[in-house]
Amino acid sequence: MKLRECFEYIAGRWKSELVILSAGNCSEMWWEVTRDSERAFYLEASMSLASMFGAGIALGVPRTPVWVFSGDGAFCMNPGMLMVERQMNLPNLKHFLVSNRCYGSTYEARLPNASANDYASMARAMGIERVYRIDSLDALQRDFASAVAQPGHVFTVLEVEPVGKKLEEPPMDGPEMKYRFGRYIERMTGVRIFDGSLF
Amino acid sequence: MASVSNVTARIVEEAAKCGVKLVASLPDTWISELIEAFDKDRRFTHVPVNREESAIGLCSGAFFSGTGALALMGASGFMTCVYALTKINYTYQIPLLLLVTLRGGLGDRAKYHVSNGLYLKPLMDSISMPCTIVDSPEKVSVISTAYAHSRVISRPVVVGFTRGVLRGEQ
Repeated sequence: MKLRECFEYIAGRWKSELVILSAGNCSEMWWEVTRDSERAFYLEASMSLASMFGAGIALGVPRTPVWVFSGDGAFCMNPGMLMVERQMNLPNLKHFLVSNRCYGSTYEARLPNASANDYASMARAMGIERVYRIDSLDALQRDFASAVAQPGHVFTVLEVEPVGKKLEEPPMDGPEMKYRFGRYIERMTGVRIFDGSLF
Repeated sequence: MASVSNVTARIVEEAAKCGVKLVASLPDTWISELIEAFDKDRRFTHVPVNREESAIGLCSGAFFSGTGALALMGASGFMTCVYALTKINYTYQIPLLLLVTLRGGLGDRAKYHVSNGLYLKPLMDSISMPCTIVDSPEKVSVISTAYAHSRVISRPVVVGFTRGVLRGEQ
Protein backbone atom coordinates (compact mmCIF):
# COMPACT_ATOMS: atom_id res chain seq x y z
CA MET A 1 0.00 0.00 0.00
CA LYS A 2 1.28 3.47 -0.81
CA LEU A 3 1.52 5.82 2.15
CA ARG A 4 -0.10 8.66 0.24
CA GLU A 5 -3.14 6.56 -0.67
CA CYS A 6 -3.36 5.30 2.89
CA PHE A 7 -3.27 8.79 4.39
CA GLU A 8 -5.67 10.18 1.77
CA TYR A 9 -8.18 7.51 2.74
CA ILE A 10 -7.79 8.13 6.47
CA ALA A 11 -7.76 11.92 6.12
CA GLY A 12 -10.97 11.63 4.12
CA ARG A 13 -12.63 10.15 7.19
CA TRP A 14 -11.07 12.61 9.64
CA LYS A 15 -13.70 14.41 11.73
CA SER A 16 -13.13 15.74 15.23
CA GLU A 17 -10.14 13.57 16.11
CA LEU A 18 -6.88 15.10 17.29
CA VAL A 19 -3.94 13.76 15.28
CA ILE A 20 -0.37 13.31 16.51
CA LEU A 21 2.31 12.48 13.97
CA SER A 22 5.81 11.21 14.59
CA ALA A 23 8.86 12.61 12.86
CA GLY A 24 9.64 12.07 9.22
CA ASN A 25 7.32 10.49 6.66
CA CYS A 26 4.28 10.46 8.98
CA SER A 27 4.38 14.18 9.64
CA GLU A 28 5.43 15.14 6.16
CA MET A 29 2.91 13.01 4.28
CA TRP A 30 0.04 14.08 6.55
CA TRP A 31 1.02 17.68 5.91
CA GLU A 32 1.20 17.05 2.15
CA VAL A 33 -2.22 15.44 2.13
CA THR A 34 -4.11 17.69 4.56
CA ARG A 35 -2.19 21.02 4.92
CA ASP A 36 -3.75 21.13 8.38
CA SER A 37 -2.10 23.23 11.04
CA GLU A 38 -4.63 23.16 13.88
CA ARG A 39 -6.02 19.69 14.47
CA ALA A 40 -2.71 17.92 13.86
CA PHE A 41 0.46 18.14 15.92
CA TYR A 42 3.59 17.33 13.95
CA LEU A 43 6.04 15.93 16.51
CA GLU A 44 8.87 16.32 14.04
CA ALA A 45 11.39 17.18 16.71
CA SER A 46 11.32 13.85 18.49
CA MET A 47 11.21 10.16 17.68
CA SER A 48 9.53 7.35 19.62
CA LEU A 49 7.31 9.40 21.90
CA ALA A 50 4.31 10.25 19.71
CA SER A 51 2.02 7.67 21.32
CA MET A 52 3.01 8.75 24.82
CA PHE A 53 2.35 12.35 23.82
CA GLY A 54 -1.03 11.31 22.43
CA ALA A 55 -1.83 9.31 25.55
CA GLY A 56 -1.19 12.37 27.70
CA ILE A 57 -3.74 14.28 25.65
CA ALA A 58 -6.25 11.43 25.48
CA LEU A 59 -6.17 11.03 29.25
CA GLY A 60 -7.23 14.63 29.82
CA VAL A 61 -9.90 14.93 27.12
CA PRO A 62 -11.58 11.51 27.30
CA ARG A 63 -14.45 12.44 24.99
CA THR A 64 -12.12 13.45 22.18
CA PRO A 65 -10.64 10.70 20.00
CA VAL A 66 -6.89 10.92 19.53
CA TRP A 67 -5.22 9.32 16.53
CA VAL A 68 -1.46 8.76 16.76
CA PHE A 69 0.68 7.86 13.75
CA SER A 70 4.13 6.48 14.59
CA GLY A 71 6.76 5.35 12.13
CA ASP A 72 8.30 1.94 12.68
CA GLY A 73 11.72 3.58 12.93
CA ALA A 74 10.46 5.45 15.96
CA PHE A 75 8.67 2.38 17.27
CA CYS A 76 11.87 0.33 17.26
CA MET A 77 13.47 2.88 19.58
CA ASN A 78 10.79 2.46 22.22
CA PRO A 79 8.57 -0.60 21.75
CA GLY A 80 7.92 -0.55 25.48
CA MET A 81 5.51 2.30 24.76
CA LEU A 82 2.97 -0.44 24.14
CA MET A 83 3.27 -1.61 27.74
CA VAL A 84 2.34 1.84 28.97
CA GLU A 85 -0.46 2.15 26.41
CA ARG A 86 -1.89 -1.20 27.44
CA GLN A 87 -1.69 -0.28 31.09
CA MET A 88 -3.47 3.02 30.49
CA ASN A 89 -5.96 1.37 28.12
CA LEU A 90 -7.44 4.68 27.02
CA PRO A 91 -10.64 4.13 25.06
CA ASN A 92 -10.09 7.25 22.93
CA LEU A 93 -6.52 6.43 21.87
CA LYS A 94 -6.02 4.89 18.42
CA HIS A 95 -2.39 4.16 17.60
CA PHE A 96 -1.44 3.59 13.96
CA LEU A 97 2.02 2.19 13.29
CA VAL A 98 3.16 3.21 9.82
CA SER A 99 5.46 0.36 8.86
CA ASN A 100 7.66 1.02 5.86
CA ARG A 101 10.45 -1.24 7.16
CA CYS A 102 13.09 1.51 6.94
CA TYR A 103 14.10 4.88 8.37
CA GLY A 104 11.98 6.67 5.81
CA SER A 105 13.06 10.25 6.39
CA THR A 106 16.77 9.47 6.30
CA TYR A 107 16.97 8.22 2.74
CA GLU A 108 15.37 4.92 3.74
CA ALA A 109 18.29 3.70 5.76
CA ARG A 110 18.04 0.08 6.92
CA LEU A 111 15.96 -0.71 9.98
CA PRO A 112 17.28 -3.49 12.23
CA ASN A 113 15.67 -6.85 11.59
CA ALA A 114 13.29 -5.09 9.24
CA SER A 115 11.72 -7.97 7.36
CA ALA A 116 11.16 -10.15 10.42
CA ASN A 117 9.67 -7.63 12.82
CA ASP A 118 6.08 -8.61 13.58
CA TYR A 119 4.65 -5.49 15.19
CA ALA A 120 1.12 -6.82 15.50
CA SER A 121 2.31 -9.88 17.41
CA MET A 122 4.42 -7.68 19.67
CA ALA A 123 1.32 -5.68 20.52
CA ARG A 124 -0.72 -8.81 21.21
CA ALA A 125 2.09 -10.19 23.37
CA MET A 126 1.85 -7.07 25.50
CA GLY A 127 -1.83 -7.69 26.06
CA ILE A 128 -3.37 -5.26 23.62
CA GLU A 129 -6.66 -6.83 22.64
CA ARG A 130 -7.64 -4.93 19.51
CA VAL A 131 -4.82 -5.21 17.00
CA TYR A 132 -5.15 -4.84 13.24
CA ARG A 133 -2.60 -5.44 10.51
CA ILE A 134 -3.53 -3.73 7.26
CA ASP A 135 -1.39 -4.22 4.18
CA SER A 136 -3.57 -3.04 1.31
CA LEU A 137 -5.98 -0.26 0.48
CA ASP A 138 -8.76 -2.85 0.20
CA ALA A 139 -8.03 -4.05 3.72
CA LEU A 140 -7.93 -0.47 4.96
CA GLN A 141 -11.32 0.24 3.41
CA ARG A 142 -12.67 -2.94 4.99
CA ASP A 143 -11.21 -2.56 8.50
CA PHE A 144 -10.78 1.15 9.12
CA ALA A 145 -14.25 1.80 10.46
CA SER A 146 -14.11 -1.01 12.99
CA ALA A 147 -10.61 0.03 14.04
CA VAL A 148 -11.60 3.58 14.89
CA ALA A 149 -15.35 3.71 15.36
CA GLN A 150 -15.70 1.54 18.45
CA PRO A 151 -14.51 2.79 21.82
CA GLY A 152 -11.36 1.14 23.06
CA HIS A 153 -7.64 1.35 22.66
CA VAL A 154 -6.58 0.05 19.26
CA PHE A 155 -3.19 -0.63 17.72
CA THR A 156 -3.20 -0.80 13.92
CA VAL A 157 -0.19 -1.66 11.81
CA LEU A 158 -0.30 -0.01 8.38
CA GLU A 159 2.11 -1.81 6.05
CA VAL A 160 3.20 0.70 3.42
CA GLU A 161 5.87 1.03 0.77
CA PRO A 162 8.78 3.39 1.30
CA VAL A 163 7.93 6.81 -0.14
CA GLY A 164 11.08 6.97 -2.22
CA LYS A 165 11.65 10.70 -1.95
CA LYS A 166 12.12 13.44 0.60
CA LEU A 167 8.88 15.21 1.47
CA GLU A 168 8.27 18.78 2.58
CA GLU A 169 8.38 19.39 6.31
CA PRO A 170 5.42 21.19 7.87
CA PRO A 171 6.58 24.82 7.80
CA MET A 172 5.66 25.81 11.37
CA ASP A 173 8.10 26.56 14.17
CA GLY A 174 7.54 24.76 17.47
CA PRO A 175 5.81 27.58 19.37
CA GLU A 176 3.50 28.32 16.45
CA MET A 177 2.45 24.69 16.37
CA LYS A 178 1.95 24.68 20.13
CA TYR A 179 -0.40 27.64 20.05
CA ARG A 180 -2.33 26.63 16.93
CA PHE A 181 -2.93 23.12 18.27
CA GLY A 182 -3.50 24.20 21.86
CA ARG A 183 -5.95 26.97 20.94
CA TYR A 184 -7.89 24.51 18.79
CA ILE A 185 -8.17 22.09 21.71
CA GLU A 186 -9.27 24.92 23.99
CA ARG A 187 -12.01 25.90 21.54
CA MET A 188 -13.18 22.38 20.88
CA THR A 189 -13.06 20.89 24.38
CA GLY A 190 -13.32 23.84 26.72
CA VAL A 191 -10.18 22.91 28.65
CA ARG A 192 -7.79 25.69 29.62
CA ILE A 193 -4.25 25.11 28.44
CA PHE A 194 -2.70 28.55 28.37
CA ASP A 195 -3.52 29.66 31.88
CA GLY A 196 -3.53 33.42 32.02
CA SER A 197 -3.96 33.47 35.77
CA LEU A 198 -0.23 32.90 36.21
CA PHE A 199 0.50 36.24 34.63
CA MET B 1 14.39 15.65 61.58
CA ALA B 2 11.32 14.85 59.47
CA SER B 3 10.49 11.22 58.82
CA VAL B 4 10.31 9.75 55.34
CA SER B 5 6.55 9.49 55.56
CA ASN B 6 6.27 13.09 56.69
CA VAL B 7 8.36 14.37 53.80
CA THR B 8 6.52 12.11 51.37
CA ALA B 9 3.20 13.52 52.55
CA ARG B 10 4.47 17.07 52.20
CA ILE B 11 5.62 16.47 48.62
CA VAL B 12 2.33 14.85 47.67
CA GLU B 13 0.32 17.71 49.23
CA GLU B 14 2.44 20.30 47.48
CA ALA B 15 1.93 18.57 44.12
CA ALA B 16 -1.82 18.48 44.69
CA LYS B 17 -1.83 22.12 45.75
CA CYS B 18 -0.31 23.31 42.50
CA GLY B 19 -2.77 21.37 40.38
CA VAL B 20 -0.86 18.26 39.39
CA LYS B 21 -3.23 15.46 38.35
CA LEU B 22 -0.91 13.15 36.40
CA VAL B 23 2.28 11.64 37.81
CA ALA B 24 4.52 9.57 35.55
CA SER B 25 7.31 7.76 37.30
CA LEU B 26 10.22 5.40 37.08
CA PRO B 27 11.65 4.25 40.39
CA ASP B 28 14.79 5.02 42.32
CA THR B 29 15.20 3.55 45.79
CA TRP B 30 15.08 7.02 47.30
CA ILE B 31 11.58 7.67 45.93
CA SER B 32 9.94 4.29 46.33
CA GLU B 33 7.73 5.53 49.18
CA LEU B 34 6.88 8.68 47.25
CA ILE B 35 5.85 6.70 44.18
CA GLU B 36 3.67 4.47 46.32
CA ALA B 37 2.08 7.51 47.93
CA PHE B 38 1.19 9.03 44.56
CA ASP B 39 -0.11 5.67 43.42
CA LYS B 40 -2.47 5.34 46.37
CA ASP B 41 -3.72 8.92 46.34
CA ARG B 42 -6.93 9.18 44.33
CA ARG B 43 -6.28 12.83 43.51
CA PHE B 44 -3.65 11.65 41.04
CA THR B 45 -3.47 9.37 38.05
CA HIS B 46 -0.15 7.61 38.52
CA VAL B 47 1.39 6.01 35.44
CA PRO B 48 4.46 3.83 35.87
CA VAL B 49 6.35 4.11 32.58
CA ASN B 50 8.79 1.86 30.74
CA ARG B 51 11.55 4.47 30.51
CA GLU B 52 12.01 8.05 31.62
CA GLU B 53 11.64 9.48 28.11
CA SER B 54 8.12 8.06 28.03
CA ALA B 55 7.34 10.15 31.10
CA ILE B 56 8.51 13.23 29.23
CA GLY B 57 6.27 12.39 26.27
CA LEU B 58 3.27 11.57 28.42
CA CYS B 59 3.49 14.67 30.61
CA SER B 60 4.15 16.92 27.61
CA GLY B 61 1.03 15.61 25.92
CA ALA B 62 -0.93 16.13 29.12
CA PHE B 63 -0.14 19.83 28.85
CA PHE B 64 -2.36 19.95 25.76
CA SER B 65 -5.32 18.62 27.67
CA GLY B 66 -4.95 21.16 30.44
CA THR B 67 -3.81 18.45 32.82
CA GLY B 68 -1.19 19.36 35.39
CA ALA B 69 1.59 16.78 35.30
CA LEU B 70 4.91 15.93 36.82
CA ALA B 71 7.61 13.43 35.94
CA LEU B 72 9.25 11.67 38.88
CA MET B 73 12.55 9.88 38.38
CA GLY B 74 16.04 9.19 39.56
CA ALA B 75 19.12 11.09 38.49
CA SER B 76 20.21 8.29 36.14
CA GLY B 77 16.84 8.44 34.41
CA PHE B 78 17.05 12.18 34.01
CA MET B 79 20.43 11.74 32.34
CA THR B 80 18.71 9.71 29.62
CA CYS B 81 16.13 12.41 28.92
CA VAL B 82 18.24 15.09 27.29
CA TYR B 83 16.98 14.21 23.81
CA ALA B 84 13.31 14.20 24.77
CA LEU B 85 13.52 17.37 26.85
CA THR B 86 15.48 19.41 24.36
CA LYS B 87 13.58 18.18 21.32
CA ILE B 88 10.03 18.20 22.67
CA ASN B 89 9.96 20.71 25.50
CA TYR B 90 12.49 23.17 24.17
CA THR B 91 11.40 23.04 20.51
CA TYR B 92 7.69 23.44 21.23
CA GLN B 93 8.13 25.38 24.48
CA ILE B 94 6.12 22.99 26.61
CA PRO B 95 6.35 23.43 30.38
CA LEU B 96 7.05 20.43 32.58
CA LEU B 97 7.83 19.84 36.24
CA LEU B 98 10.41 17.17 37.01
CA LEU B 99 11.17 15.81 40.47
CA VAL B 100 14.60 14.20 40.43
CA THR B 101 16.81 12.51 43.02
CA LEU B 102 20.27 14.01 43.47
CA ARG B 103 22.05 10.68 43.39
CA GLY B 104 25.79 10.67 43.79
CA GLY B 105 25.72 13.64 46.13
CA LEU B 106 27.07 13.83 49.65
CA GLY B 107 25.77 10.96 51.72
CA ASP B 108 24.98 8.65 48.82
CA ARG B 109 26.85 5.45 49.57
CA ALA B 110 26.11 3.81 46.22
CA LYS B 111 29.32 3.73 44.21
CA TYR B 112 27.45 3.20 40.97
CA HIS B 113 25.93 6.67 41.32
CA VAL B 114 29.28 8.46 41.44
CA SER B 115 28.83 9.58 37.82
CA ASN B 116 25.54 11.25 38.69
CA GLY B 117 27.25 13.20 41.43
CA LEU B 118 29.88 14.34 38.98
CA TYR B 119 27.77 15.09 35.92
CA LEU B 120 24.09 15.64 36.77
CA LYS B 121 24.34 19.33 37.64
CA PRO B 122 26.87 20.16 34.88
CA LEU B 123 24.58 18.39 32.43
CA MET B 124 21.60 20.45 33.57
CA ASP B 125 23.69 23.60 33.27
CA SER B 126 24.79 22.62 29.79
CA ILE B 127 21.17 22.60 28.57
CA SER B 128 20.23 25.65 30.66
CA MET B 129 17.80 23.59 32.71
CA PRO B 130 16.53 25.50 35.74
CA CYS B 131 17.01 23.41 38.87
CA THR B 132 16.20 24.18 42.46
CA ILE B 133 17.48 22.00 45.30
CA VAL B 134 15.38 20.74 48.18
CA ASP B 135 17.85 19.90 50.92
CA SER B 136 15.55 20.35 53.89
CA PRO B 137 11.89 19.43 54.44
CA GLU B 138 11.01 23.09 54.86
CA LYS B 139 11.91 23.70 51.21
CA VAL B 140 9.34 21.27 49.81
CA SER B 141 7.01 24.19 49.14
CA VAL B 142 9.30 25.23 46.29
CA ILE B 143 7.52 22.57 44.21
CA SER B 144 4.60 24.95 43.65
CA THR B 145 6.94 27.77 42.77
CA ALA B 146 8.82 25.56 40.32
CA TYR B 147 5.57 24.39 38.73
CA ALA B 148 4.41 27.95 38.20
CA HIS B 149 7.83 28.97 36.94
CA SER B 150 7.80 26.25 34.30
CA ARG B 151 4.51 27.67 33.02
CA VAL B 152 5.89 31.20 32.99
CA ILE B 153 9.04 30.30 31.07
CA SER B 154 7.32 27.60 28.94
CA ARG B 155 10.15 25.19 29.64
CA PRO B 156 10.87 22.35 32.05
CA VAL B 157 12.00 23.02 35.60
CA VAL B 158 13.71 20.46 37.82
CA VAL B 159 13.29 20.14 41.57
CA GLY B 160 16.18 18.05 42.90
CA PHE B 161 15.94 16.21 46.21
CA THR B 162 18.84 15.25 48.45
CA ARG B 163 19.13 11.89 50.15
CA GLY B 164 18.76 13.54 53.53
CA VAL B 165 15.33 14.87 52.67
CA LEU B 166 14.01 11.77 50.92
CA ARG B 167 15.42 9.27 53.40
CA GLY B 168 14.87 11.30 56.55
CA GLU B 169 18.57 11.41 57.34
CA GLN B 170 19.15 15.09 57.97
